[in-house]
Amino acid sequence: MNRGDYDTDRRRRFGTLCESLRPDLLRFAWWLGRDRGLAEDVVQESLLRAWKSFDSLEDEGKAKSWLLTIVRRELARSFEKKRPELTDIDSLVAAESAVLAAPEDERVEEMRNAIFRLDEEYREPLVLQVLLGYSTQEIADLMGMQQGAVLTRLFRARARLRQQLGLQPEGES
Amino acid sequence: MMTCLEFRRRVGAEPFASDPGIEAHRRECPACARHQDDLRAMDGVIRRALAVDPPSRTASPVAAPAGATRRRLFAIAASLVVGAAVGVVLLVSAPRDSIAREVVGHVAHEPGAVDSTVPLAPVALAQVLDPDGTRLRPGIGEITFAARCTFDGHVVPHLVVQTPQGPVTVLMLRHRAIDEPLRIDEQGYRGIVLPAPKGAIAIVGSGITDIDAVAQTVFDAVDWGG
Repeated sequence: MNRGDYDTDRRRRFGTLCESLRPDLLRFAWWLGRDRGLAEDVVQESLLRAWKSFDSLEDEGKAKSWLLTIVRRELARSFEKKRPELTDIDSLVAAESAVLAAPEDERVEEMRNAIFRLDEEYREPLVLQVLLGYSTQEIADLMGMQQGAVLTRLFRARARLRQQLGLQPEGES
Repeated sequence: MMTCLEFRRRVGAEPFASDPGIEAHRRECPACARHQDDLRAMDGVIRRALAVDPPSRTASPVAAPAGATRRRLFAIAASLVVGAAVGVVLLVSAPRDSIAREVVGHVAHEPGAVDSTVPLAPVALAQVLDPDGTRLRPGIGEITFAARCTFDGHVVPHLVVQTPQGPVTVLMLRHRAIDEPLRIDEQGYRGIVLPAPKGAIAIVGSGITDIDAVAQTVFDAVDWGG
C-alpha cells in the first residue's frame, strides 16, 4: 500500500469510527459534564487527539474504550483549567432543561432529572453500564477502580434513584 | 445459598445478572424475583432517560461558557490543519450511512444486552412495546432484553429474543421505510432488515446459521397494531 492509499484508508477507518461512536461520546460527555457546550468541545478535542494518535490503536474493536478514556481525560483537563461557572444543581437543571425534557414519557423525564442530580461518582458508572453496555469489570478498568467498588456504586446509584423517585430503597447499608 | 440481602445487593448493581445462585434464589423467593423484575423494568426507564439526543447548541441554543467558544474555535482551526476530509467528519458527522452499519453499530454498542438468558417480566416488555401499540404473538421465543433506544434520532423498541439458534437482536424501525430486504454481514454480525407493515424490522445475530428462518419467525410474531 502506497502512502496515499494508506492515508485514505486511515481517514476512512477513522471517519467510520467517528460516525458510529460520536453520538455515544457526546452523551457520555454530557452526562458527566452536564453542559452541552462543554460536551461538544470535549468530544471535538478528544477526536482531534484521537486522530493524532490513531496509529497507536492496535485493535479497532477496542476503539470505544480508547475514545472514552480520552474523553474522560479531556473532561478532567477542562475541569482543571476552568471551574464550571454553574455549580448550583437547580441552575444546571434549568440550563439543560431542553435536553432533560422527554416529551414522549413523563417517567423518563423524571428519571432523567433524577440521574442528572446524582453525584458524579454514581452517575458515571451508571452511564457506562446502562447506556454504553459496559460490564462492571470494564467499568472498573476504565475508572481505575476495583470491581467491588464499582458494584457498590452501581447499587447505591439505583438506590438513590429509587429514593428520589419515591420508591423504597433496598438494602442499602 | 444466597441470602435475600446478598441477592438484592447483587441485582441492585446488576439487574440483568444471571448465574446459578441468582436463578436458584429467584425460584425460592418470589419477593426477590419480583424485586429483580422491578429493577429490570427501572433499568429500561434509565436506559431511555440516558439516551438523550446528542447535545447540540444549534438544536437547543443555550449560552455556552466563553472559554468553550474559544476552545471550539481552536478545535476547528486544528482540524483544518489535520485535513479537510477528517475535519468534515469531526464537525458534521452524523449516523446517516447505511442502515446496516447503523444497526450493527447499535448492537455492537450494547454487547451486554444479549448476555441475559432470564425471560423478561411481561410488565417490563409491555413498557417497551405499549407506547407504539406493538404486540408479540406466541411463538416468537423468550424475550430476555427489552428497551426503548434512540436510533437514528428516533426512540425504537430493542429486543433480544432467544431462538433455537441463539439470541438475536430485534430493532423495530417504524420510522424507516425500505423497499426490499437488506442483508447485514458486518463485524461478525449477520442479519436482515425487512420491510414491515409500519417501517422496517431489523433482526441481527452472531453465529446464527439460518438467519432467514429466524427472521421469518420473528417477523410473523410481530403485531404492529392498527
